[in-house]
Amino acid sequence: MTPLEPNVLATVAAVMVAYLGILLFIGWRAARRTHGGEDFHLAGRSLGAWAAGISSTASSESGWVTLGAVGMTFTYGISGLWYAPGCLLGYLVNLYVVAPRLRKISETQGSVTLTDVLTRRWGDPRNVLRVTATTIILVCMMGYVAAQLTAAGKAFSSSLGLEGRGGYVLGVVIGAAVIILVTSLGGFRAVAWTDLFQGLLVAAALIALPLYAISRLGGFGALIQGLGAIDPHLLSAGGDRVGPALWGFVIGQLGIGLGYPGMPHVITRYMATRNDREVQRMQLIAMMWGVVVFYGAGLVGLAGRVILPGLADGEQALMALALELVHPVLAGLLLAAVISAILSTVSSQLLVAASAVSYDVVEETLGGARDDRRSLILGRWTVAVVGLIGIGVALMEVRLVFWFVLFAWSGLGAAFAPLILLALSRRGVNRHGALAAMLTGVGVTVAWKLGRDAAESPEIFARVWWITLIAAVAILLVGHLTHAFENADRIGVVAAATITVLAWLLVQRWGLDSLYELVPAFFSAGFAAIVVSAVTGERD
Amino acid sequence: MQAYGLTLGAHLLLWAFPLALTVLVVVESLLDNTWREPRK
Repeated sequence: MTPLEPNVLATVAAVMVAYLGILLFIGWRAARRTHGGEDFHLAGRSLGAWAAGISSTASSESGWVTLGAVGMTFTYGISGLWYAPGCLLGYLVNLYVVAPRLRKISETQGSVTLTDVLTRRWGDPRNVLRVTATTIILVCMMGYVAAQLTAAGKAFSSSLGLEGRGGYVLGVVIGAAVIILVTSLGGFRAVAWTDLFQGLLVAAALIALPLYAISRLGGFGALIQGLGAIDPHLLSAGGDRVGPALWGFVIGQLGIGLGYPGMPHVITRYMATRNDREVQRMQLIAMMWGVVVFYGAGLVGLAGRVILPGLADGEQALMALALELVHPVLAGLLLAAVISAILSTVSSQLLVAASAVSYDVVEETLGGARDDRRSLILGRWTVAVVGLIGIGVALMEVRLVFWFVLFAWSGLGAAFAPLILLALSRRGVNRHGALAAMLTGVGVTVAWKLGRDAAESPEIFARVWWITLIAAVAILLVGHLTHAFENADRIGVVAAATITVLAWLLVQRWGLDSLYELVPAFFSAGFAAIVVSAVTGERD
Repeated sequence: MQAYGLTLGAHLLLWAFPLALTVLVVVESLLDNTWREPRK
């Protein structure tokens, strides 16, 4: 994007400051109502339909919806829209299958986190499930938080006119400081309320901007003619893909939705919903938000391609259109919407990472901070420490951490989504099967991606079977030395390693390049859970 | 000047799917409210 004129910049910066002030005000109000551990981690199970619905969807979409999704249709035209049915089918499963059942089971169990649901569902006498799940969540979430803070820092520095390395650092620090303050003071309630505000801002932006842009073009017909004149493939559902490449692309895009039931920062909203009636109202609200936002983002990309054909990076289309078409105050609001989409996810993921440490590790595994007040203080400090680590990683731009982010969505989805669905709907799975499923989900995700992108991955990972062998031996050794593993757990680890290597061989030999890794990883994890449970014989 | 149009698949993807989904979700919600009414 070209640099902003000083008067435009001043207006946009003023809107940004007002937006951050609103977030702080919401955090302060939420803090006044947060009095104990369950309040901090789950808002005392008191969320209404709007806060639960919009915060569950807003926190799941991150900057991807205002940047990546827009870029998809900008680049690929209508065929770039396949993510929308994929995500919306994921919403359907989450809202109509997972949400009502999860709310009930978590209330009955008294569970506070996703890990808590799984361990109480299948029993976890030696903390094997809790430690495994917490490790996966922490690794994925810390990478996510750092990556989102980087994106927020870049967006802040460009919209506040802060230039160079110093501007980037200031951008990261401003965004992170506000989010850490809001999250550590108000906990889950502050995160849900700020998500509601930010989610509505994103939805308003993605309704208003495409409608205005298309009307400026001369209507929907003019948009279609403009796209066709650039490239007729932009008007087809398959683009220029044919045969297996087309089917792999479509199945992969539809497969994005498989991950939703496994996202801890999303499904904890369902656990925090007040009652069944609110869950039913939430279903309609969240689905409508999804339709508006996904299709609004798609239309922004399509309109951007016609209005700004020279734009080098399609992911910048929303911001570029805002600055090109509307008054600076509205442009400021639209840029705030872009940053909102990022920050609403950061706060949710920060809280999940902190809950994993303070609740799952310190309170449940180590048995610390049993009283409610101590739990609240521990939660607040953990958010601050985890947030500061996130800032450090974002500022140092630790490459390994950002490499992990490539696996975060599919890794979390494959590790937890099949398990949550099995936990809520099926008997015949036990804790050993659950362990095998988590390890298989992560293993197949990594193996599939590395097998597919062998040329782009670090050389050390070129032989996945070696890495899998070393990882499996290390896990077995730790389990043995800590006396945590039973024989059935060892069977689970070996099964996960075997399926991981088979998946890697499959993608290398058969070249299923275009299939998104979450699809095979999800089904492999579900398969591992059922088979290992059947072999080890202990049923719940 | 050549006139361009959407393919059938593009029509389904761009507006038929979201419209059908919206109708489904709204009807489900209305039915749910109607069904629940007598219990209030």
